[in-house]
Order: sequence, then C-alpha cells, then structure tokens
Amino acid sequence: MDIQKAIRDLHPLGGQVVPIRTVQETRPVEEFADAFVAEVNVKAASKVIKALDSAFPKDPSLPLSHLRRFAKREMLPQPLREAIEAQNAPAAPGQTLFVLLSPPLPDVEKLKAILAPFAPAPAPATPNATATDGAADESSVQTIHLQPVKIPLCPPFNTTQAETWTKTLWPVVFNPAAPRSFVAPPPQTLARAQESIEPHAGYFLSLAHLVAQEAEQSGLGRGVGAVIVDPAITSESQQWDEAVLAVAGDARYSRPEGGAPSQAQQHPDMAPNPASKTYNADLEGGPELHALMRAVELVARWRRENDREDPAQECDTLSPLESHFLYRHHPDPVPLSPSLKRKHENPTESDIVDESDLHVPLPGPPSVDHSVPAPATPRIRTRAQGGYLCTDLDVYLSHEPCLCCSMGLLLSRFRAVIFPRGGRLESGGLASEPVVGPVAEEDPAEAGSKDERGYYGLHWRKELNWRALGFEFVEDVDVETHTPVFHA
Amino acid sequence: MIFRDDPTAEESRHGYFMKQALLMGEKAIELNETPVGCVLVYDDKIVGLGMNDTNRSMNGTKHAEFIAIAQMLQSYPRSALQSTDLYVTVEPCVMCASALKQYRIRSVYFGAANDRFGGTGGVLSLHSDSSIDPKYPVYGGLFEKEAIMLLRRFYIQENEKAPNPRPKKNRELNTRFDDDQEPEW
Repeated sequence: MDIQKAIRDLHPLGGQVVPIRTVQETRPVEEFADAFVAEVNVKAASKVIKALDSAFPKDPSLPLSHLRRFAKREMLPQPLREAIEAQNAPAAPGQTLFVLLSPPLPDVEKLKAILAPFAPAPAPATPNATATDGAADESSVQTIHLQPVKIPLCPPFNTTQAETWTKTLWPVVFNPAAPRSFVAPPPQTLARAQESIEPHAGYFLSLAHLVAQEAEQSGLGRGVGAVIVDPAITSESQQWDEAVLAVAGDARYSRPEGGAPSQAQQHPDMAPNPASKTYNADLEGGPELHALMRAVELVARWRRENDREDPAQECDTLSPLESHFLYRHHPDPVPLSPSLKRKHENPTESDIVDESDLHVPLPGPPSVDHSVPAPATPRIRTRAQGGYLCTDLDVYLSHEPCLCCSMGLLLSRFRAVIFPRGGRLESGGLASEPVVGPVAEEDPAEAGSKDERGYYGLHWRKELNWRALGFEFVEDVDVETHTPVFHA
Repeated sequence: MIFRDDPTAEESRHGYFMKQALLMGEKAIELNETPVGCVLVYDDKIVGLGMNDTNRSMNGTKHAEFIAIAQMLQSYPRSALQSTDLYVTVEPCVMCASALKQYRIRSVYFGAANDRFGGTGGVLSLHSDSSIDPKYPVYGGLFEKEAIMLLRRFYIQENEKAPNPRPKKNRELNTRFDDDQEPEW
C-alpha cells in the first residue's frame, strides 16, 4: 500500500459532530427521596454495613457518597432527633449510632430482621423513661425502629447547602472536588471542544475506517480502527493528518495462546479472518487487542522508547499504517518546522530524540522523503515535555468502544472520544440513550427486543473520578444499520 | 491436598490464594506501583500472577488483572479462563470487570471494595448486568484490611510521577479501621 497516497486520497466522512448526552441528563433523578434512619449498637457498626451491603444491592446510577452513612446522636438534625426521641428513649450516651438506609429501599420487615441483631443494648431503666410503645418491653426483645427521613439525592453545590441539609435533613459531606459538573460537561468546555473537533473529524474518522480496513484485510483482527489526535497541534499548511499521533487497528486474532498458533496463523491468507463471522468468545483474543487499547499502548510504547536512558527493545509488530504514524517524525535536529506547532508551547531542541534511540520493529518505518519539509519535532510529548498518558488528546474510533475500552480511555485521561453513530454496538460503553429519529414503522415487539443493550454513557458519569467529552458523528448519508455482535 | 468438602479447608484455600495476591501487592509497592495484586487459579494451581504496572509501562490501562491474564495465556488457551478464578486484593475496576466478563472468568474473589472505580458492585455491577457474555459471581471482603493497609502505605507516599505531586510529608499512616471513615483512594 502506498501509505502517503492512501492518506491523501481519503475522503472525509460528511456529517455532524453531536455531543453524547450524559446518563445524568438522559435519566434525571428526583432531587429528594425517602430513606430511613435506624439506631444501632455502636460496636456493631461495621457488621451493620456488611449485613446491609450483602443483603441489598446498591443502585449504581445513584451514588450517595455525599451522605454520611452513620451519624452520632448529637450530629442528627434537630427535627430528626426530636422525632426519634419521641419514639424511643435515648440509650446510654455514646453507645449507639444512627445508620442511614438509603434508596433503593428494601422491604421494611426484611430490613428490620437484618438489623435486629445490631439493635442497641438495652438502656438502663431511668426514672423518666416512659413506656412509649406498649409492646416493647425494654428488658426483652430489642426492636429496630425505622424513622422515615428525606435525603438529597444529589451532592451539595457548596458548603452552605451542605450545612443546611445537615441541619434539616441528614448529615451531608461537601466535596469540592465533585462539583455539579458531574451532571454534564460545562457548556463552554463542550462547545469549545466541539468547535476544535468539527473541522477535521470527517478526516480522522475516515482514517479510522482505513485503519479498520487494514486490520480486517490483514486477517489479524476485526475491522475496527482507532486514531489518536493531539488537538493542540495546528498546522498552517492545513494538512489534517499532522495532528495524528498514533493509529491502531484491532488485532484480536494475532495472539498465539497456550502455545497454539494464533487465529491469524491458523488461517493464513484468509481475510477477513473466518473467526470474525460469528462471536465465539474463545476466538476473540481479549480487550487489550482492541483498537483503542492498542493505540493507547502505542503512545506508551513510544514514550518508553524515548523517555528512558536504556530503552528496551519493543518487539510487537506494527501494521504499515501503525508504523507510519508512530514513527514518521523526522528526527533531524533542525529548527522547528514553522508548519507544525503546538498551541501555547514550543518544545525545545533538547527534546528532539536521536534516531539511535528508536528501535523500530518490523515492518520498518517508511523512508523519509527529504524533498518534503518534514515536521522536525516528535508529535508525542515525552514526559519531560509534560506528556502523561493520553492527557489532553482525542481519540477517533470506527466503532463505539466496548465497556472495557471505554473505561480504558478514561483511565488514559483522553480529552474527548468520537465515533460514528453508524458504528454503535450493542456491547458499547458510551451511548446513553437509543437513537431517536425518523424510523420506519417497526414491529413493536421486535423494536423492544432490539433495544436490550445497556446505555452506560461511561464517558461522563458522576460516580467516576475521570471523565471525557463524548461525541457521535452523525453521517449525512444513511449507513447500513445491521449491527454485528462483538466487542470493539 | 485440598479437601473441598471441608468448609474450613475451603476457607483456608481461598485465604492461601488471597495471600499470594497480597504478596504481589507488596511487590508492587516495592516497585512504586499502586499496590494491587492478583492471582489466577486454574485446577487449584496459580497460573497467572499480576500487579499493577501503570507507572513502569506509562500506560494507565496496565492493571494487575491484564498482566496475570497475559501470563496465563502463554501456557493456556483462552477457554481455560472459563474454569479459572481470580483472587485480587482490590475490587476490579470497571475496565477490568468488563475484561473479565469478556474473558468469561468463572468467579472473582476480592479484598477491599473500590467505590471510586469498582466494576463489580463499587460503582457499576458489570458482573451481574446482562450482556453478550455470561454473568459471573463475585465475593468481596477476603483479607480486606490487609488490602486497604497496602493502599494506605502507598498513598501516604508522594507520587513524583504525577504532573503536580502533592506534598505529603506530614501525613501519618492511619492504622485504624473506623466505620465512619472515608476511604483513601
């Protein structure tokens, strides 16, 4: 393949960049909910948590980490404390704690039964203790009283709100690191990223398809491709591919396992690989061989080869396209090419690596054409230049990534992820809602069964520490809608 | 000799494998990696060992589970994972929980829960969600305190690899296990 020509000949996909809504937006929750508070023996606190957590599953879309799980009597809001004390005489001071039982609320009787072993020790009879409940004889069976309470479902915006809730509802923790942007990206951030993505998204996605095609035609993987782009690299010459740091194709059939030849070796000269006709888990390699994970690994590999004093030889073979984009920089220590620069920064000459540091695997790097002014600086920033994982980078994919890769891209700290809507997969981790649009009348039963997939919207979930901006590319022309079943 | 019908032997069997996972966590701390360790057990044998490898590899996805699986697959076919159990000191993250499902792990035993990233109950429950791969059972809390202490020992250090290391000179190692305490990771 003449790589330069193939890249020059690419036609950009035509379409619109559309932000993927977050699950907080597609499934808004009510602000407040009913919960219970129960008094338990202070010594049993850890057992209470274990018993509750093993008996009742949490609702993962409803993280309530802003609510304290336990409160001491003196921490209870005044109205709650009065309500509780109207029901039960206070136990000996310091001997009990109050546990919050938050939604989804299980059956009350079951809850009482689970908590019964941890009921407060009987309070010593005090002269002013009045029998509030005819059935409860304090000296015999300990019962659990469930006091209804309202709790805020969303974390507080600020300390004032946290204090108000703490005084009126239930003790709340304010975490300044988890501001309200957990619901959705700040609109300006989203708009700015979208603006920077729009001009070349069609090209990068077209390149992702080319990489996918290469992977499929090599027999080494399914037809899935990933392209990592540094949006800070701007090119005066308007060469869209200058900002591409690395590309990778799926390689799930490339790995020999347990001493047996790989799927690709078992079917030489067969493309696409026959294993791709169906989904047989045993033949699927693993997610570390998916396009996104491989692209992330190529960036890491480049840094390992260039950041170390004693670079280790890396021997995984790369495809021609992968090798081209990873190693195409021209390492001559000439002044920076004016056509390639990063916004807000100028790498120094000392950052330019010597060619001898590069251990180029098979197939070798494309020969550099010296008649073309080549960019003089490596595109991937070394650690010394502040490069860290895939911080501030964007990744373009031919398909919606699987859940594993979706979390992998968050752990790699990408700024944004973009894939074509036509590449949605049932096993994907990013979509947050079904596609709504002009759909031809369908058998409702069939439509229902078609929408069995989970919509995780993993790119921007309030529960997770890391988030990325997610975009779908809605193509102008209808693409074929049959969706194969596999993990991309 | 393992007596599978004897519950105490079964318990000590789980304990043995989790201790091996904890030893991998110890090794990680020596190498300045986040101390999460794991072992894969097939046919009562450890067939894969892993620890977090993100700092050395400069790749944030190199979690212990992937390292152990790569090791196992050098000697066993992928299908063997369907009869393999994972023992890992910290609940698998969302990424690893999905990977384990795709690999069709038989079951997962973990030490400490992970309410920041956990994919088997901590944040998401991928092990029990419907998908194109079967669900798998998960058992948590095995040597939980030991796993947490490993993490605390690690996070009390400064991370000079981070873009903006936070000074932590005045921090003391917390050895208490109060129930009203925020986790540290």
